Amino acid sequence: MLSFLIRRAMTLGITLLAVSVLAFLIPYAGTGDPARKILQARVNDPALEPEQVEALTRQLGLDRPVYVQYIEWLRNALSGDFGYSFTSRTPVNDLVLPSLGVSMSLALAALGIALVIALPLGAWAATSKGGKIDNAVTFLSQSAVSAPEYWVGPVLVLIFARKLGWLPSGGWTGMSYIVMPAIALSLRPLGYFAQVTRAAMNDVLAAPFITAARSRGLSFRATLLKHGVRNSMLPVMTLFSFWFAGLLGGSVVIEVIFNIPGMGRMLYTAVTNNDVPVIQGGLMWILILAVLINTVTDLLYGVLNPAIRVTRG
Amino acid sequence: MADPTAHVHQMPPEVRHPPQVRPNVLSLFLKGSRRRSWTLVAGTVLLVTILLVLLLTPWIAPHDPATQDLASRLAGPSREHWLGTDHLGRDVLSRLMWGGRFSVTIAAITLVFCAAVGIILGAVAARAGGWVDEIVMRTVDVLICFPDVVVALFLIALFGTGPATLIAALTITGWTPFGRLMRGLALDISSKDYVEAAEILGSPKAYIVFRHIIPNAIRPVLAMGFLRFGHKLITVGALSYLGLGVQPPNSDWGAMLMDAQPYMERSANLGVLPGLAIFVTALSVTMIGQGLEGRKRGLKRRLAALPPVPGVGAAAVADTVDSADTLELEDTPGAHAPTPGGDVR
Repeated sequence: MLSFLIRRAMTLGITLLAVSVLAFLIPYAGTGDPARKILQARVNDPALEPEQVEALTRQLGLDRPVYVQYIEWLRNALSGDFGYSFTSRTPVNDLVLPSLGVSMSLALAALGIALVIALPLGAWAATSKGGKIDNAVTFLSQSAVSAPEYWVGPVLVLIFARKLGWLPSGGWTGMSYIVMPAIALSLRPLGYFAQVTRAAMNDVLAAPFITAARSRGLSFRATLLKHGVRNSMLPVMTLFSFWFAGLLGGSVVIEVIFNIPGMGRMLYTAVTNNDVPVIQGGLMWILILAVLINTVTDLLYGVLNPAIRVTRG
Repeated sequence: MADPTAHVHQMPPEVRHPPQVRPNVLSLFLKGSRRRSWTLVAGTVLLVTILLVLLLTPWIAPHDPATQDLASRLAGPSREHWLGTDHLGRDVLSRLMWGGRFSVTIAAITLVFCAAVGIILGAVAARAGGWVDEIVMRTVDVLICFPDVVVALFLIALFGTGPATLIAALTITGWTPFGRLMRGLALDISSKDYVEAAEILGSPKAYIVFRHIIPNAIRPVLAMGFLRFGHKLITVGALSYLGLGVQPPNSDWGAMLMDAQPYMERSANLGVLPGLAIFVTALSVTMIGQGLEGRKRGLKRRLAALPPVPGVGAAAVADTVDSADTLELEDTPGAHAPTPGGDVR
């Protein structure tokens, strides 16, 4: 257990170091003077005075060797300081942390919807293995998995916002704003959850302890709830954490479509505006959280099922 | 392992000879469609149709995809334009066909890279063990939690947009499922008699990996490939939708969806059809993948369900519970390891 944690911490450390080097190098990649690029990002004007470039180079210390700059940047980053956004001139953390909250609530809403629908569907399919219901659920889950959210989203907007006027088409100022993006985002995880639940449930229901429980006189329903659900939750949990980490920064398209001030849209605008500190800060935060979520899941796995408690990384 | 050749000579004659004809994945795939799940058949028919249309596009597309006709913008379906025209009066059907070529090609190239990297690294990790295994699997652990769109944004920030960036970004995050799967399979296959035999014969390590390990793992890997293809297609579309994928004047299905956004109300067709194309293509490969995977799983369950040694009682039951529990875990292939070669008698 302890060795697992130490190993994970080391992996996280090495990963972050590697990513930080790459993130630091963003302004240096490609051709051109970094100071010039930074200035262009700030003033959005390709014609620059050489004196300005010169002044900024000295002000930011860009004339020093790269590794000295990197160490200084890393020291600041370690204390949580990623600098100021080029475009809005606010500290990066003031931008990132609220966006992270928005993305998290959106991700939880979407995954909540997905779970509530997918778990009963998957269990239902497993109990009627090979039957009509099983086939129908399989087809539905395959369809859900294949539906691009940037297709479902605009179609939902067209129907429920433009034609019917029930829901707002975009923005983030109340509960009603979360409904459509969450539904659009929930489809693909829903499909995966249903498939995994069905497969896990199938395996569990074929296990001898189910027969044992049934032969002790437990009703089918009780067997399913007591033994089936608990034992088939583990793969679902892994998938959940995978999607949760993915949606923290990966719901870019939906956030752009619905104009939601989350991590995805923030990173997207930062990349299109060449706002380097925001890209660096946002990436580092997402990756830290993703690895943390993953580690917590691995630990929970052992809590839920002592038989496969983590022994090696 | 004191005298590994000893039991080979003691084997009964019917065990000594391997089957003369190696199973051919393709012919197996073509034969016996009755046993096959309906999703596999339906998916294959859909995919072959789509690929044929995309392949024949230069000859069968009714119009040039770039020819503008501003007089008939946003027109509905007509005999001239079967699926109507877009905001510049371009023929939607032709654009769908040409756009599909970009979407499917980029997704396919990415998939091939992912599969190749994953297969090789996974097999090498399993065979080499030790620190090589450790490094590969820790890398997988980390990469598997990187959202692929975020990595793509990162690489675009570093190198700018372009097909190479796109493919690189999707490969960096995309090889991990293949790596994990392949490692598990390779560990499993390594315990088989024929691998042991090859080792005893002194076959080079690389030869064993490429001649025995990888060919025997191809079916589950193929299933995984089909399953991941849909995902790749959707991600490529997402990046194009954001204007970070296929660049104008070319456009794939994702870019067409983006172009259609301002005109959704006037011509819903425009915003629905490219998405439908992505959806149907992704659905077809998902159906194929699950069809392939389903049979593998069924086989696995049949093997696991074999009755335990008779007359052992409670201990044997406990054993089967254990193996049933661990079946889904890719990292514990030893749980249902076949009986070692020496026990064949």
